[in-house]
Amino acid sequence: MVEERRILYEHLDVPDINTFDVFRQYDGYTRFEKAIAEYQPEEIAKMVLDSGLKGRGGAGFSTGEKWSFVPRDIEPRYLCCNADESEPGTFSNRYVLEKNPHLLIEGILICCYAMGIETTYVYIRGEFTLGKKMLDAAIKEAYEKGYLGKDVRGTGLNIDIYTHPGAGAYICGEETGLIESLEGKRGQPRNKPPFPAVEGVFRKPTVVQNVETLCNLPFIVGNGVEWYTQMGPTYADTRFDPPKPDANTGTKLYCISGDVNEPGVYELDLGLTCTELIEVAGGLRGEEVKAVIPGGSSAPILTHYELDTRLDFTSLTLAKSMLGSGGIIVMNETRNIVDCLLNIMKFYAHESCGQCTPCRWGTPWVRDIVQRIADGDGRKDTITRPKFGVAENGRWGDTGETEEIYEDLDLLESVANNIANVDTMTWNTICVFGIAVSWPAVSYMRKFRPEFEAAIREGKLVTLPVAEATIPPEENYAYQQRFIPKEFADL
Amino acid sequence: MSDELVQIETPFAFNEENQREFDELIGRYPIKEAAMLPTLHIAQRQAGYITPAVMKYVAEQLDVTVMKVKDVVTFYPMFFEEPVGEYVIRVCHTLPCALRDCKVVLDHLKAKLDTDIASETNLAKGTTADGKFTLMKVECLASCDVAPVIMINDDLYKNLTPEKVDEILDNL
Repeated sequence: MVEERRILYEHLDVPDINTFDVFRQYDGYTRFEKAIAEYQPEEIAKMVLDSGLKGRGGAGFSTGEKWSFVPRDIEPRYLCCNADESEPGTFSNRYVLEKNPHLLIEGILICCYAMGIETTYVYIRGEFTLGKKMLDAAIKEAYEKGYLGKDVRGTGLNIDIYTHPGAGAYICGEETGLIESLEGKRGQPRNKPPFPAVEGVFRKPTVVQNVETLCNLPFIVGNGVEWYTQMGPTYADTRFDPPKPDANTGTKLYCISGDVNEPGVYELDLGLTCTELIEVAGGLRGEEVKAVIPGGSSAPILTHYELDTRLDFTSLTLAKSMLGSGGIIVMNETRNIVDCLLNIMKFYAHESCGQCTPCRWGTPWVRDIVQRIADGDGRKDTITRPKFGVAENGRWGDTGETEEIYEDLDLLESVANNIANVDTMTWNTICVFGIAVSWPAVSYMRKFRPEFEAAIREGKLVTLPVAEATIPPEENYAYQQRFIPKEFADL
Repeated sequence: MSDELVQIETPFAFNEENQREFDELIGRYPIKEAAMLPTLHIAQRQAGYITPAVMKYVAEQLDVTVMKVKDVVTFYPMFFEEPVGEYVIRVCHTLPCALRDCKVVLDHLKAKLDTDIASETNLAKGTTADGKFTLMKVECLASCDVAPVIMINDDLYKNLTPEKVDEILDNL
C-alpha cells in the first residue's frame, strides 16, 4: 500500500491555519525569510530549476525554465497566479485557497523575490467565493504584519498581491486567455509567440503559475533541492545521446473522483500507478475498472489494460495521455463510455470561446454526432477505409488492408482530428483547447469502439462488459508507441 | 447602443459603499479597463443584473465604449442580462457529478420548484413565477470529491440527495 506524503497539505486540517498566527506556528513565512536572508534572487531561480519542479496546472512545463525566459531588464514584471481551477475532475486548489491561503502567499512572495516582481494578480475563479474571501482576509493580515506592501520586513522589497475574480469561463484557465481576461476583455487566448514570459499582462513580462506550483516553492527553499529531488522517479530521456535525466520530482495533489469509495485529494509522490491510486482512495466502488481519465477531462482515457501506467508527467505522455491537472476520474463496469463522452463533449461545446473557426464549429459538431449515437440515431451506413497497424516494415502505418467502419465513427474521428490532430499533435486552433476536445473524442472512440458500434447497431445505448467494450492494445492504434519508460538509475 | 435605448432604463450609479470599493479597485491596475470584471461583479451585486444603464455607467467609469462592456458581459456566463431570482441555483452536471447522479438532484429541483432549466439566452425559462428562484445547469464547480454539488448564490452544498435538497430549500 502506497503511503500518502503530505507536504503541501500537511497542515491543511489544523484549526485556524488560515490565520497568520497559527500559520506562523507551523513554520509559516520562515521559508520566505530564509530565502531573503540566505539567497540572492538568481540563486532561488537556480534552485527551482535544479529541483525539476514542473508546472502543476496542466502543461507540465519546467517552472525554472519558464522563469529563465523572463527578461530581467524590462520593468515592471508581473506574476499571475492561476487559481481558475475549472478542469472537470480537479479540485485541489480550492482547498488550498479555502483552508491554507497563507501558504500560497508565501509561495508568491518567494517567486516575487526570485523574479524581482512587485505586483501579483491572483486570478481566482468567480465561483470560488469562499476561497476568495479567505485569501483576501489572509492578504489583509499579511499586509498588517508587514509581509506585503512597501518595504517588506525592512528588505526594501515592495510586493503587492491583488485578487481578481473571473466570471465562469473555462478558457480563462489557459494562460493567455487568463491574461486577456485580466486586462478586462473577453478571455480569448492569444497567439504564441510571444509567450507571456516575454510579453504577457499589460504587454509586460509575466510569469503565470498555478496555485499548486507556487505552493511547492516554500518547501523547495526550506528543505533544499536535494530533499525535493529525492521524491518521485527520474526517467531516462532516450531522445538524447547520452540519455538525459527527465525528472518527475516532488509530490502531486491527485484529485480522485467518480467510482471510488473515498474520493478526495491525496498528496502522493509522482509515479504511482492507477491501480495503486484507486487503492489509496478506498478502492473501487463497483466490480471492475472500466476506464480511468488520468488528468482532467481533456486527457485521453486509459482502459483496464493500462492500469499499470504510472501517473507522472513522463509516463503518461509516453502512454499518449497526460497528467494534466491531476484530476483522476474512475469509471466502473456499469458506465457507458458513449454517455460519458457525450457529457464531456457538451462541456467543450459550451466552453469553446468562439475565436477559432475549427473549434467554434467543430466542438458542437462532435457533440451532435455523439448525441446522435447516444440517442440511437447513429448512421448505420459503413464506409471502407485503409486499416492502420503494424505494417510490413515492422513500423506503425498503413497495413495495405482496409476496414469497414460506421460512417458516424469515421466522421467523429475526422471532425475531431480537424480541430486538432491527435496523431501528429498539431492543432488548427490558437490554443490547446482544440487538442483538449479531440483527445477525449478520438481516444474514447478508438479504445471503446465496440461500445460505440453497439450503440449504432442496436439503435440505443448498450453497456458492454469491460472485456468486450475495450479493444486490446495490440489491435488498436490509439496505443501506438506505448511503452513504459526506464528509470534513469536502471540504465 | 444608442442613447434612446438607455434612457428608458432607470439610470444606474454605485451606492456609497460600492463606490468606495470601486475606488480602491481601480488603483490596482495600470489601465482602468483591467478592472472590468470586478467592477461588473460589484454592479451586478447592486443592480441584480446587468442592464444597459449599468453597462453605460461601467463604460463611463472605465473610459471604454459601451460596446466593449457588452462584449465582456456576453462572454462570461456569470453575468446576467436578464432579471434572475433572489436565489440563483447552479447545478453542476459535468462528468464527476454525473457519475454521482446529479440528474436525480436536478430533476428533483425541477419538480419541486416547478420550473424548467434556464438557458443562457433565456433566464426567464428557469425562474419561478414568484421570482424567488432561478434554476440553471453549470459546468464543473471544482468539488468533484463531494459530488453531486449545487451552488445557491455564493454557497456550495455538497453530497446532495433529494432529501438534503428539501432541507436546504426549507432553510433558505
